[in-house]
Amino acid sequence: MNDRGVVLAQARMAILVALRTPRVLIFTAAFPLILLVLFNSIFSKGGNETTTLPGDLKLSAEAYFTAGIIAYSVALSTFATLAVSLTTQRENGQLKRYRGTPMPPWTFIAAQITRASAQALLMTALLLGVGAIAYGVPVPASTFPAFIAYVLLGTAAMCSLGIALSAFTPNPDAASTIAPFSVVMLSFVSGVWIPVDQLPSWLETVGKVFPLYHLALGLQTTLAPGASGTGLELGNVVVLLIWCAVGIRIASKRFKWEPQAAKA
Amino acid sequence: MPPVSEAAITVSGLRKSYGEHEAVRGIEFEVAAGEVFGFLGPNGAGKTTTIEILEGYRERSGGEVSVLGVDPGAPTRAWRNRVGLVLQECELDPLWTVAEAVSLFARFYEKPRPVAETIDLVGLGDKRDARVATLSGGQKRRADVAIGIIGDPDLIFLDEPTTGFDPSARRDAWNMIEGLKALGKTVFLTTHYMDEAQHLADRVAILRDGRIVAQGRTEELGDDLGRRTVIGFSLNGSLSAEDVRGAVPTSQVAVAGNRVEIETETPQPDLYRLLELAEQRGVELDELEVRRPSLEDIFLELTRAEAQES
Repeated sequence: MNDRGVVLAQARMAILVALRTPRVLIFTAAFPLILLVLFNSIFSKGGNETTTLPGDLKLSAEAYFTAGIIAYSVALSTFATLAVSLTTQRENGQLKRYRGTPMPPWTFIAAQITRASAQALLMTALLLGVGAIAYGVPVPASTFPAFIAYVLLGTAAMCSLGIALSAFTPNPDAASTIAPFSVVMLSFVSGVWIPVDQLPSWLETVGKVFPLYHLALGLQTTLAPGASGTGLELGNVVVLLIWCAVGIRIASKRFKWEPQAAKA
Repeated sequence: MPPVSEAAITVSGLRKSYGEHEAVRGIEFEVAAGEVFGFLGPNGAGKTTTIEILEGYRERSGGEVSVLGVDPGAPTRAWRNRVGLVLQECELDPLWTVAEAVSLFARFYEKPRPVAETIDLVGLGDKRDARVATLSGGQKRRADVAIGIIGDPDLIFLDEPTTGFDPSARRDAWNMIEGLKALGKTVFLTTHYMDEAQHLADRVAILRDGRIVAQGRTEELGDDLGRRTVIGFSLNGSLSAEDVRGAVPTSQVAVAGNRVEIETETPQPDLYRLLELAEQRGVELDELEVRRPSLEDIFLELTRAEAQES
């Protein structure tokens, strides 16, 4: 038996399920694209560098919102998707059924992460492509590796936190309310919908605690034409790594395979 | 294949408590390799707790358990390869097709059965590309059984496999379970249907309040417990209850209206004398029947107190 094959077979099935659930496609694929178009149409300043990041780095509204919505989309594709789908599969007994087979538990988790990451990377490519082609968002070659690094780090942190959250959401309804709602709320204080320089400082401080702020800021920095060096900033990287570790720690201690609702 | 003499499951002194509540209170039984073992009891008797301990899902509070030579409290991957499960409810993603679901589970096992053949075996051949969500209750249950046997296990746990089946689907399921036995598999069966246990099980154990109140070979259980055969008929003509009592003096005769029931340990001579009496009087015995105690009679009697409590 080949464990990698087991991971891929499960990832393929998870992708099939997602493709057969129109709600998932609308919320995680169509929604960010629509937001990208909306924000760029409303706030476009014709590509002038009008938004200022910490460190006096300037970039266009288009680049700012494209990077922010990529961060939002990564969070939806990984954090929210995993919390909802793992809670659903746990409550309908699928996870318990898996535990009764010789399938190694890690292969299941790896498959779910593969499916979520694939979605996050696909959405990133799609949003960045639309941003570059339709709204002239620059993609500086010097900082592009850092852009990829942020997407991967953000994906890792959000995956681990999504798995961790699923341990606390008692049913699919709760998960599909709490997870997307918290992403939308955090987006307000993380520079996704509103540039952080327009927030009261205490709200920005709240945003800084959470990983979405640092993912968005990291991506925005790497799309700023004036970014120095690689564009990778220690502060953002460290916060994302810490949240990734926190998620892994909680998930490995608290993850549950059996339905939590008392069966009648 | 293990030798036939080897026990597939041995359980002794098994106990399980949830806080103050003792769900299983020291039970003991053995399941021989290759037999169908019926595990019966009313709801709340501790059936599910016990089966989940044997399946490796739940830890026990005390006692010794061995399933295929392994302690299910520490399940290994090799052990899981030899054990097939059919849980109480359908646990397949409604968006999968039958063939996708069975193929996925086939990947988990070292030596799976062929997927198409297994789907045919459970009678879902024409539903292989149907999504699980579109299957009827009975068809979902068959998909569960396909998943349970796809790994070609030596031992199969079937937890209420025919709940919600119509009579013809139940017959099909019985044939399938008999097919598994013919392949040399050991089957651990729980069911609410006593006719099902009577038909399929070589031996049964009846659980009540966390204790086994009876166990033995299915057809001998009544005899072992001293349950008697009943001869019943309706009085007519010149035959009176006193005449009947005189004919079978060693047996218990109960009369309700004109219905007579004779409880007897010696059914053959009693029946002979009764027919002789009827012949002499020129009377026809209406609605004559001879009833051995069914598993259902025994079960109801042994678990009656439990049923009234709940």
